[in-house]
Formats: sequence, structure tokens, C-alpha cells
Amino acid sequence: MPIGDFAFMIPVLPALAFVLTFFFGKKLPQGGAIIPITAIAVSFIISLIITINLLQNPEEVITQSYQWFSAFNVGILIDPLAAVMLTMVTLVSLLIHIYSVGYMSHDPAKPRYFAETALFTASMLSLVLSDNILQLFISWELVGLCSYLLIGFWYQKPSAASAAKKAFLTTRIGDVMFLAGIVLLTTDLFRMVNGTIPEQLYLLRFDVIFSYIPQLSAMNTTVLGFEVTHLTLITLLFFGGAVGKSGQFPLHVWLPDAMEGPTTVSALIHAATMVTAGVYLVARTFPMFIAAPGSLIIVAYLGAFTAIFAATMGIVMNDIKRVLAYSTISQLGYMMLGLGMGAVIGAEAVGISIFHLVSHAFFKALLFLCAGSVIHAVGTHDMRELGGVAKVMPITAATMVAASLALAGFGIPKTIIGTSGFFSKDPIIESAYLFGAESGSWLPYIFAIVAALLTSFYIFRLIFMTFTGEPRTDYGGHESPATMTVPLAILSIFALFFGAISSETFKHFVSETFVNNFVHMDIHALAELGHYELAAGHGHEPLLIVWMPIIVATLGLLLAYVIYYQKAVDVSRFVTRDNPLYRLLYNRYYQNEILTEFFAVKIVYESISMATYYLDRGFDWIVSVLSYIVFEAGDSFRKVQTGNVRHYATAVVLGMSLLVVLVKLVMEVI
Amino acid sequence: MIPLNFYLALSAIVFTIGLYGFITQKNGIRILMCVELMLNSANINLVAFSSYNDDMTGQVFALFAIALAAAEAAIGFAVMMSIYRMRDSINIDELNLLRW
Repeated sequence: MPIGDFAFMIPVLPALAFVLTFFFGKKLPQGGAIIPITAIAVSFIISLIITINLLQNPEEVITQSYQWFSAFNVGILIDPLAAVMLTMVTLVSLLIHIYSVGYMSHDPAKPRYFAETALFTASMLSLVLSDNILQLFISWELVGLCSYLLIGFWYQKPSAASAAKKAFLTTRIGDVMFLAGIVLLTTDLFRMVNGTIPEQLYLLRFDVIFSYIPQLSAMNTTVLGFEVTHLTLITLLFFGGAVGKSGQFPLHVWLPDAMEGPTTVSALIHAATMVTAGVYLVARTFPMFIAAPGSLIIVAYLGAFTAIFAATMGIVMNDIKRVLAYSTISQLGYMMLGLGMGAVIGAEAVGISIFHLVSHAFFKALLFLCAGSVIHAVGTHDMRELGGVAKVMPITAATMVAASLALAGFGIPKTIIGTSGFFSKDPIIESAYLFGAESGSWLPYIFAIVAALLTSFYIFRLIFMTFTGEPRTDYGGHESPATMTVPLAILSIFALFFGAISSETFKHFVSETFVNNFVHMDIHALAELGHYELAAGHGHEPLLIVWMPIIVATLGLLLAYVIYYQKAVDVSRFVTRDNPLYRLLYNRYYQNEILTEFFAVKIVYESISMATYYLDRGFDWIVSVLSYIVFEAGDSFRKVQTGNVRHYATAVVLGMSLLVVLVKLVMEVI
Repeated sequence: MIPLNFYLALSAIVFTIGLYGFITQKNGIRILMCVELMLNSANINLVAFSSYNDDMTGQVFALFAIALAAAEAAIGFAVMMSIYRMRDSINIDELNLLRW
């Protein structure tokens, strides 16, 4: 029996675990944690076997499709892109579940926690292996629902409840755009087949969509005075969905607030599920993006801007989890930038971006779990109250340093020595340089390289403030139990060595997804449709450019060391309310004030409530008038009912005579 | 042989008398009697047509109608009796509780 026949079990098992844990978790030890752990472990094993099989026999892509209704289908597609995502999601999710047994041990609502995380994992897995965009959208919404449930896990806390609501509503803006893109795509496809759908043609399946790309790019429409192809419009709407889910500017506001959930949930959202869905969507529909003029450029610029924008806020946060949250937004910006670089390096962009996604998943999950370990032991997440934690929690400190090295991207170019972050982030920065050299616009490269400096600075600021020096407050700490430290150790091995081992194979493997697989796309022909000029070759960047990322990373580390370890510079001179720059950063560019309080509350909320108020009054008036008319009519007509039998008899006789006369008249006319 | 139209005219006259009485009278007993008149006018029609068409169905039907009228009259008079015992009158104009 080929392994592909078991592929459907990958999302089904965690979904089953959700049901079982939800109903029977209370009766089992540890809130029934063993059920989701087993289910996800089995899913992981299946995914791993499929991936290894796919690596050896690239033509054995798993495709299964069944008719759902008319021209739509449900199905499974496991190509290299999906396979690596499945393996990463199941592995990280499995480790987080094991870790949660220790982390959540004091929480009374464990069954609900494990049920919801299992459903979260199941929805993400079914999103990844969807073979059509409709099924992907359904899973996409399920992921959104689970994030709402989990961010608001401690719903007794008002801040958690409002954070959950904020996450749900913000991503909803993106979801609506995504849905609009699907609707536009579907109507265009229907127009192309002239309303009659050939047998066995499932319209929204990815290979079918891709085969219609030339026709789609030939359709033009005018939006706001710009002449754009339908393909650009559809891809930008898809990207709008990705912006919401993956926390790109300006819809990133929900991500830092998502810290209100348990730290393990943050790890799950930030590493394995949810935020990677947006990047995955763009990667999945990459042939459409590369054939759409302008789309990839917008993706690249927005990604680069998000990377630097979030990094600047990361350096002033005092909450350990918030620093990591901004770091996630910044790294997601890198992934989007990597995808946008398809404008110069073609399908390889998918490879480098997804590689960064996977290595980021490992080290970001690790960072969050370490932070969780510290919070679990110490009971605070304000870095100003911490310090010297390394003495009491050596394992956590060591793994955290490993993750930070990976995040900052330390390694030696041209060798295989380096953390996974180094192998994944450098190609993105280098292709941004290539983009600058080809097109003459250097902004993405400058953003990317400055963001790399800031990344290194804020993460080592976190390390030095938390783990070194003397304790700033009196806290009792202890090293976490083995169920928490073992996942940390496993993840830190991945964070350190995953890149060195698999970098080249991985990128090659994933880049081949669209070229020589379930579809055979001619990337160069598509790029011509999109008016992108692919660079002939690369790898010939000047030596300085190759060394640049590691130089700025070291610079960031040294800066953090001098300021926060040696305390050579008195920080409090800058970190005051009087410093306008600090105030701007600390207040997060006033985006909360502008976006939430001004835009969301004042404009949207107020105008909607005003409109609904008058609408309400209007409807109320219509209903009142109608009921008044009916009342009055009833009042006057009921006088007919006198209660006197003789009146009724007269009425019957008169009516009967009238009827006879009428019938007579009618008969004569006929 | 008396022509059919004569029977029909008689039936119509009897029915109109009954209807007139039904509408104008206030006494409950009289109203019931008028109803009987209207019923019997219909019976005349039935029998007349039956005899002229040589079809017994109409006469059987008339017998049924007479039996039904008897039962109806019995119930009607009983109701009138109870009303009279309650109110010392059977003026139906006073029985107008079922109204607006």
C-alpha cells in the first residue's frame, strides 16, 4: 500500500483528537494530553515518510480529488511545498504539545486547551494539503476561529477577551479580501469556459487555475484610473488575505496583542500555524503572482517595510513576549520580501522564502518556549524585573542563546558553518541586493540590511537583560521539568544545525514545486507575462555584500553587549519620556491611537453606529406606520360584526344575490 | 299533468316566504319555522325533478332531508327552551354577545 493512501489521515487524526479530548479529556490524566500528542506524532511520521519518499522520487506527488458539488472538488495535493510544510507543522506542533504538558500543568481547563490546539493543528494541516483554493479558504477560516479561541483562552481576563476579538476582526479584513479574490477568480474562470464546464474539470484546483494564467493575464480592467490585469487584481486580493493572516503592515496590530493567550499558544501561532498560512498562500499561488505585473513588487516592498518597521519597535519593548512578537512580524516581512524577490530570481524565491519560514518556525518556537519556561518559573514577563536568570535556569538560557544566534543569523559565508537563520535569511538579503542591482531601486535591500542589524540588537538586548547580571527583583526560580526542557533541546538542535545540513537540498526541492511536478510551469514565460526581468545568474555578489549580513549582526550583538552587559552607556539618558524618538517607538508609532482608537473606533465604529441608528429609526418608522394602518383598518371594519343573527342573514342573502348577478353578467360577456 | 314550472314556482314562493321571515322575525321559534319552510321548499324541488326524470334518487334524498330537518328542529327547540329558562325571553336580538 503506497504511503499516499494514508495522506488523508494527516489532518483527520488531530481533528479526531480534538473531538476525543474535548469530550473525554476530563476523565484522563493531564487533561487527555496523550491523545493529541499521539495523533500528531502519527501525522508527523506519515508526513516525514511522504517527504522522504518525495525527495527520492520527485515524480511521486500525491494528488487525490473527489467531486464535491458541480465544478468544485475536495482533494489532497502533497507536492514538495506542501510536504515540507506538513512535516514542519506536525513536528513543531508535536514538540509544543509535549511542552504544554509541563507548562499547563497548573491550569484547570487543560482538556479545552488540548482540544483547541489539536483542532488548530488539524485546520492548519488541512490548509496545507488542500488541492483547491476553496478548501484552502475553509481551513483558513478554521485557523482564524481556533486562533480566536486560543488567544482568548483565559477569557476571564478582559484583556485576553479583547485581544481575541481584535485578532479575529483584524484578520477578517484580510479574509474578506481573500474571499473577494476567490469570487473574482471563479467568475473569470466561468467566463472562460463559457458557462459549460467540461467533464472532470474542477475549476478551483490549483493546476487548473495555473493553466488559465495566460488568459487571466490578458483580461484587463480599470481600477481607480489604473489599467490592471485581472491577474494582478486577484493576486493582490489574495495578498490582502496574506497581509491579514501573516501580520504584515498595516494589519499587523493583532499579533502583539495575541500574547494574551498562553505562551505555548503564542509559539503555535507564531511558529507553526496561523501566521505562516499567509506566506504559504502566496507561495502556493506563486505562478499567478509571477505572471501578474506589479504584484511581486508590492509584495517585496511591503515585506521589506514590515521587516524594518516591526524591528524598530522590537528594540524598545520591555515585555519579553512582545519583543518576540515584533520579531515575528519582522521575520514574516523577510519571508514576504523573499517571495517578492521572485521578480528577479523566479521560482527560487519560493525555495528561499519557505526555507526561512521553516527555520524561523524552529527558532521562533524555541524562543517562545524558552520565554514560556522563564515566565513559568519566575512569574513575570517584564524584562526590567528579570536578570541573572541563567544562573537558575541553565538549560533554558543555553537553548535561548542558540535560538537568538539563529534569529540574528550568525554564520560564516561560503562555508557550511552557520545557524539555520543564517542559511535562510542571507539568501533573501542577497536576492534583495540582486533586485537593487537589476532594477536600480535599493530600498528593499537597505530595509532588509538595517532590519538585520536591529534584529540582532533587540534579541541580544533581551538575552542580556533577562539572563545575565544580577536579579533586579527578588524572584524564586527553578529549572523547568523535563517535559519542557526536552522539546527545547530538540528544537535548539534544529535551530542550530538544520540549515547547515539541508539548506541546498531543501531550496532546490521546494523551488522545483511548480517547474517539474504536478504542474509544469515555464517560469520564464510567466515572468514575461508579468514583465519581470529574471537575472541571468547570481552568486557573483561582491565579497562585501556576502559578508554584510554577518557584519551587521555582529555589530548589533556588540552594541547590545556594550549597552546592556557592560553598561558602558547609561541607557536611562535615552530611555526617557523626554526623548521624542523613544516616545515614538515606545508608543509603537502611535498606531494604536491612529489605527485602533482613531480609525477603528472614531471613524468606523462611530459612523457605523450612526448609520445603523438612523437606519434603525427608519425601519422603526416604517413598521410603526404599517401597524398603525392595520390597527385603524381593523378598528373600523370590526364594527361589521354586530352579533345580531338577522344582520348576518341579510348579508348572506345580499352576498349570494350579488354573486348570482355577477356570474350571470360574466357568463353573458363570455 | 301539472307542468314542472308550477312546482318550481311554488318552491320559489315558499323559499322566499321563509327567507323573509328569517330576516325580519325576532322570535326564535318563528325563525326556526322559517328555516323549516326553506328546507321544505328545497324538498319540493327534489321530489318534482325526481318524478319528472323517473329517478328515485331525488325522493330518497328528500326523505333524508326531512329526517335531518326533524333532528335539527328538535335541537333548535331545545336550545330555545334553555335560553327561555335563563332569560325569560327568546328575542334573538338580545342574544348579541358574539360581536366586536
